[in-house]
Amino acid sequence: MNETGTADNRHMPDPETWVDRYGDYLYRFALSRLRNRVAAEDLVQETFLAALHARENFKGHSSVTTWLAGILKHKIIDHFRKESRERPVEDVEPFTPAFDDLFDEKGKWKIGPSKWTVSPVELYERKEFWRILTLCLSELSGRLARIFTLRELEELSTKEICKVFDISTTNCWVMLYRARMLLRRCLEINWFSVENYEGK
Amino acid sequence: MSHWMHNCREITRMVSESMDRKLPLHQRIGIRVHLFMCKFCSRYRKQLLILREAMRLQESFVQDTKPSLTLSPEARERIKRSFIYSLNKSQ
Repeated sequence: MNETGTADNRHMPDPETWVDRYGDYLYRFALSRLRNRVAAEDLVQETFLAALHARENFKGHSSVTTWLAGILKHKIIDHFRKESRERPVEDVEPFTPAFDDLFDEKGKWKIGPSKWTVSPVELYERKEFWRILTLCLSELSGRLARIFTLRELEELSTKEICKVFDISTTNCWVMLYRARMLLRRCLEINWFSVENYEGK
Repeated sequence: MSHWMHNCREITRMVSESMDRKLPLHQRIGIRVHLFMCKFCSRYRKQLLILREAMRLQESFVQDTKPSLTLSPEARERIKRSFIYSLNKSQ
């Protein structure tokens, strides 16, 4: 994770300046996980209040930004948990999807994956790629995107994810499989095919 | 030996699952054998690894390149107001 360029980030600044200093960073952090402006604003607000009450716990082992992001992360997981309790069976995936458009009746590739030649570090330079990744993520169903985000961004184990969403581990593996299959296909169609074509 | 032979559809599911937990030895061998022979599944595995790394890089990308993505003035004011209120109360 990147730090904001605040000088002396391990020293706790006056709380009155917190919102101006860290508000936008936390907002971007929340938005990239929640993909919902209002929810992101609410959780940023809650994070500042929680941090205020817990500020004695800040020991300067990490930067203030990291400390605040840690609080926000817990708020986000809680938010997902509450949300899934309110809508328990919105899009549970009980069966392994067949992806009949990609595989023939013997389970062989009909449309084989193409060769992705760039490394993620090279991708970093290409703004267009990140726009398409965001687009592909937004095309996943709500719960699928949230499970995938917790797994790949927060690096939660599938066990922890199961608890958050109250689903079985098998169900979790299947949903992650589905998310990865959809995302790689979406990236291939929208980004890598164009990139390869232009490269020739 | 036949249970080591998996088709591509099964392998894609197993490769994905191997990113979330340690698979039993016979499945890991099954994947190895298949990937050795199958160009498409090898590419698929590489794609998933790129996807994973990209997700982790996305965070720094958003923070580095989107300084324009900020709290709206109204939201900032609202957050500040509730924060200062709690701050004064706690002092």
